[in-house]
Amino acid sequence: MRHHTLIFIAGSALLAAPLAAQQPDSAARAKARADSVARADSVAREDSIRTVREIERIQNEPRKRDSVPKPPPQSPATGVGAPTNPRMLPDFSAVVDLVADLSPHSSTQPDGRRFSVREVELAVQAAIDPYFRGDVFLGFDDLEKVAVEEAALTTTSLGNGFEARAGRYRMPVGKINTTHRHDLHYVEYPYVIQEFFSPEGLRGTGIWGSKIFSPFGFYQEFIVTMVDAFGESPDSLFVRDPANKTLSGLGYSARLRNYWDFSQDKNMEWSFSAVTGKRPQPISGGSDTLNAVNVQQTVVGTDVTYRWRPLKQGLYESFLLQAEFMYQINQKNPAVPTGTTYAGPTSDYPGAYVFGRYQMSQRNFLGARYDWLKDPENDGAPFNAVSLIWEFFPSEFSKLIAEYQYISRAGYQPSFPTYGTDPRLSRLLLQATFALGPHKPHAF
Amino acid sequence: MTRSLHALALAAALAAGATGAQATLKVMTSTTDLADLAKAVGGSRITVSSIGAGYQDPHFVEAKPSFIVKLQQADVWAFVGLDLEIGWMPVLLDGARNPNIKMGGSGYIDVSRAVPVLDIPSGNVDRSQGDVHPLGNPHYWLDPDNAKRIVALFRARFTDLDPSGAPVYAANEAKFDASLDSAEKTWAPMLAKIKGKPIVAWHTSWRYFAEYSGVNIVAFMEPKPGVPPSPSHLAGVIQTMKRTGAKVIVMEPFYDKKMADFVADKTGAKVLILPPSVGGLKDGDPPNYIALMTYDITQLADSLP
Repeated sequence: MRHHTLIFIAGSALLAAPLAAQQPDSAARAKARADSVARADSVAREDSIRTVREIERIQNEPRKRDSVPKPPPQSPATGVGAPTNPRMLPDFSAVVDLVADLSPHSSTQPDGRRFSVREVELAVQAAIDPYFRGDVFLGFDDLEKVAVEEAALTTTSLGNGFEARAGRYRMPVGKINTTHRHDLHYVEYPYVIQEFFSPEGLRGTGIWGSKIFSPFGFYQEFIVTMVDAFGESPDSLFVRDPANKTLSGLGYSARLRNYWDFSQDKNMEWSFSAVTGKRPQPISGGSDTLNAVNVQQTVVGTDVTYRWRPLKQGLYESFLLQAEFMYQINQKNPAVPTGTTYAGPTSDYPGAYVFGRYQMSQRNFLGARYDWLKDPENDGAPFNAVSLIWEFFPSEFSKLIAEYQYISRAGYQPSFPTYGTDPRLSRLLLQATFALGPHKPHAF
Repeated sequence: MTRSLHALALAAALAAGATGAQATLKVMTSTTDLADLAKAVGGSRITVSSIGAGYQDPHFVEAKPSFIVKLQQADVWAFVGLDLEIGWMPVLLDGARNPNIKMGGSGYIDVSRAVPVLDIPSGNVDRSQGDVHPLGNPHYWLDPDNAKRIVALFRARFTDLDPSGAPVYAANEAKFDASLDSAEKTWAPMLAKIKGKPIVAWHTSWRYFAEYSGVNIVAFMEPKPGVPPSPSHLAGVIQTMKRTGAKVIVMEPFYDKKMADFVADKTGAKVLILPPSVGGLKDGDPPNYIALMTYDITQLADSLP
């Protein structure tokens, strides 16, 4: 204890000596103190900044660089991690399809509008369970209001290349019919599709089965469907019994796809399709409640698609050539009610189109299409159309199209009521589409 | 009779063993890098094929039906993830109708789950930010540390699917790691030269490479991911390059070089085309992952002052 006391006294004396020496110059002492405080503040500030930066660096650092890499804490090498969609929400998306018709004489749209929201498509898609996937597409437009475009349950686990589907879907007939209208490379479906099926193509409600196989070393797929009806019946036609009263009155289709890779850059698909079923056709001399009969109609066709896209410059260059030929076969002498006369098609009609598109730059495409058909609704009168199309993609999720079309036809046609009777017609169509949300990519 | 049965059982066991030894996993990957790393692990016990080519933009691959045939027969589907393949993978997997390689299947490998991810956006994300990846930057294979993680993942998953091959897979993983460690020693002087040097990159695909090499990416030619450069953005890039002294513009072989040449002309910089993937140059070069990293590091080190 005594030692401690002595040490304390000695230490105090040693400290007191320099302090006493500073007493005479109080101003210098104050300045020195101020400098000392400022230095301390500066050091503290630098330390603080350094600390903050260190924290930021550590926060931003993705991993500590060890000599032996270690898996991240939540992601062991077994591939287990946090789910990216823990609430298992389906994918919701909307595609808006805007069309302007600036044709010189009048609008050529069915509703006569110059500017219209042609359709808003709302899509909901998700896996339902380990066995099925669900896809629902609702279409909203000013004419039909709301329509179920597609609503299908598709198997995901049959294996061996099999797939089954039930519900409403775009019919696998021809190449372009399975593409949604807003995804076309032109504003409207080719005329052979519009005339043989409908302006919106051909849909069906029923069951679908397909199998993919490659016994010859290239991709093949065979698809068959059975649907409630071949196409939609016009509201103005009334038949005695619905076509689907018997199984033979349902719609049936088959398609065989064949695909070859010529090289990494070039490939081709050549496929064959057929669809058959009974469709209401008009009779004359009937009544307001019976003015049509169910008549067998079959459409057979073939389609060829050639693609060129160099892999290295694929962002900037590509070429597509597509052609479809269809042949409509109609029942010639259907039975009609007594006192009436058949007024539907009595011949067979061909139709085709050829479309080519060249990519000029990352966002610009230039295309041309030639349509030819014998119009079934005008007793096989010839119909020709040439279209020039400029397609521009601001991004993957928006598209602009400008299309000039020149039509040569045999005067008035029932299927083009808004076109008038001029045998030669020019059309100028503009289209803008945009997608919101995770719209699923479409098939190749 | 008993002897005959024993002989039959022995023959059956031998046959089964022989079958097991010859068993091969059919592995499909989305990129050539994953294919090469899978081959490094699987060796002769697997066959592997890649959907994308090394000199192709992996964001934009055509979902060709010929790929569907291959995927239909695959035991394993390994992909980069983080939405890199979002534009084409769903079509192929739906088309393949192979439950083993769909999400939840035994052969479905989302490789991104095995690596630490950069550039995960904070806050809200929408498409006004360009082709942003909400789950993070998917170009993670350009960090060799991640290559080791990927190889470890493949070893674990291949072992699950083919337990009898476990010793082979483990040995191959160790061999790959040793080769990579050896290569890293040869890269060390070049990495020392690269470290801290300013460069400009076309796309965010070089972020992981920069993390590994220490090179300082001071600007991207794309104003936003996937968005082509605008004149005003390029003017800003030129100013940034002059201010920071960046003398190299790194870009992938599948982008148009015109704009990069313009900027290089204005700044006295060099445009360096670097393959981001195995086979990214002509004739299948670089032939494997280590060769790819060696090429990229060497080229960059040689180009930097």
